[in-house]
Amino acid sequence: MVPLTYFQLLSAALFAIGLYGVLARRSAVLIVLSIELMLNAVNINLIAAASHMDGVGRFSNFDGQIIAIFVITIAAAEVGLALAIILRMYRNRATVDVDEINLMKW
Amino acid sequence: MPGLTENLLLLTPEFALTGLALLVLAVDLFLPESRKGWLALISIVGLLGLAVLSVVMLQGREETLYGGLLAVDRFALVFKVFFLGLGVLIILSSVDFVRKHLSHPGEFYGILLLSILGMNFMAQARELLTAYIALELLSFSLYVLTAYARSNPKSNEAGLKYIIIGAFSSALLLYGLSMVYSSLGTTSFAAIRDALASGAGAGPTLWVGLALLIVGLGFKLAAVPFHMWAPDVYEGASLPVTAYLAIGSKAAAFALVLRLFAEGIVPVVDIWSRWQIIVAVMAAVTMLVGNLVALAQRNLKRLMAYSSIGHVGFLLAGIAALGPGDTLVANGIILYLVGYAVTSIVVFAALIAFFNHTGQEEIADLAGLADRQPFLAAALAIGMFSLSGLPIFAGFTIKFYLFTAVARAGFLWLAALAVFASFISLYYYLQVIRQMYIQPAPGAPPEQSHGHAAEPPPDSNAHGAAPDAASAIPSPGWRLALVLGLGLAGVFWLGVYPAPLVAIIEGASRAILPGG
Repeated sequence: MVPLTYFQLLSAALFAIGLYGVLARRSAVLIVLSIELMLNAVNINLIAAASHMDGVGRFSNFDGQIIAIFVITIAAAEVGLALAIILRMYRNRATVDVDEINLMKW
Repeated sequence: MPGLTENLLLLTPEFALTGLALLVLAVDLFLPESRKGWLALISIVGLLGLAVLSVVMLQGREETLYGGLLAVDRFALVFKVFFLGLGVLIILSSVDFVRKHLSHPGEFYGILLLSILGMNFMAQARELLTAYIALELLSFSLYVLTAYARSNPKSNEAGLKYIIIGAFSSALLLYGLSMVYSSLGTTSFAAIRDALASGAGAGPTLWVGLALLIVGLGFKLAAVPFHMWAPDVYEGASLPVTAYLAIGSKAAAFALVLRLFAEGIVPVVDIWSRWQIIVAVMAAVTMLVGNLVALAQRNLKRLMAYSSIGHVGFLLAGIAALGPGDTLVANGIILYLVGYAVTSIVVFAALIAFFNHTGQEEIADLAGLADRQPFLAAALAIGMFSLSGLPIFAGFTIKFYLFTAVARAGFLWLAALAVFASFISLYYYLQVIRQMYIQPAPGAPPEQSHGHAAEPPPDSNAHGAAPDAASAIPSPGWRLALVLGLGLAGVFWLGVYPAPLVAIIEGASRAILPGG
């Protein structure tokens, strides 16, 4: 059985990559993509935890998987909304670069 | 599975609210453009009916649904009626605005109703995933409403910033949830309490998880240092949506935080006493930053945004002072939410009436409003006085109650700081009043030879735009006048005789703080 810690490290790494992407990327689309990475890190964490709940690597507690399904669903809706708003932005301003989206400051 | 369909009838108001939202969206397809006003009417009548139904059906019930995922208790009922009433007032005050400035009223009202559904569930959730889904239902609706003015670049920008920050904070919240789940194997508030009390599963994973949960919720509440999105989103959104963001989403987030803390963390005294100071420092920083940065604002919506951040600081001070079995602080928080809502609705209704006629939203644009439209100016002035916490208005009662409770819980310094922050806030609230009552209207003939009035504006200006801007503003339509009247009545009633409301709220606090 692969220890739970390995999964948690994988999940933490994926989360950190997503976090870096949110902070460093300049394109709104790629920021949304990075947020998706963070949400997938959450899913790995949840399913790994669910499979290790009894200590022998068999699924005995299904909450984690159910939560993961909800997370996937909500993430899909979130991307749909975000892309719709980004598209609207592009129609009006012809850019999705977050450095140029600065009508309002302070 | 036991409990899955048990007590399902208790959710009748929520099912009916979903039906109402879908009904509005469906009726919208058949109504001709000239009859769209009916949609608002249907929504308002529906919401009022649901409020009555909730009170009649759920009065005195203390039950749970779905094996404890949702609570139907006094706390949920008080907030449910609060949110439904708020929805009525927001819809009433947005009708004229929507007709003038926005297209597709059907979706606007439909999405607004769905967001109220999300808020209702936030007040009922007793489990992290349920709370998260309710929160997302509210947030998604708000993203859409914020970006609703599709051809307005500011609205687009606000929507984009809101959804990116919102999704980011949801990811943090969910990562926290996954950590809590992996260390405890469950996500219900009661199980978190039991695990904390017994020490089983306590470890770095659980601490990081809970910390991430608090950070994620901090983003939703716009608590400093997670507040930077709020001013931009408030400024870019349409005015009724700004009002809704400032009042509704904040109240719902606090309902959730209050239940999470009161049922999950506060009962474990030795752990909570170590966490209190973290929340207290967050509260202190939030109230100071919000009120100090508000001093520099020129735009009314941004001013209200920073002012609302300051109010979040006061409310967080209440959260920090929560104690097991002590209902006084919880009463203070709920009373503050109600009083803040009543006051803000007056301010925003007046601003909407002003905006509908002039299209302006800078503080300087209010100059001479007392002459141009005395009723609006008086309502706005009363709202500002109440927000700053002067007596005989609601603002005084709620601040007095909350700060006293915080001081009695042992956080005297925090209460003193809150009073100090309220003094700071008086300055910028009075700036607005000074504009309305002392500054002359633009283009109006200077009455006396003040020093600065010596240079009259150039003639081209005086005959061009100025007379139009300076002309009298017609009185607001009956809907806004009704909202203003109800709001003002509430402000005075809470300011003079809050006892009946406090008695109701006491029951709500007891529901989440057993043993009090």
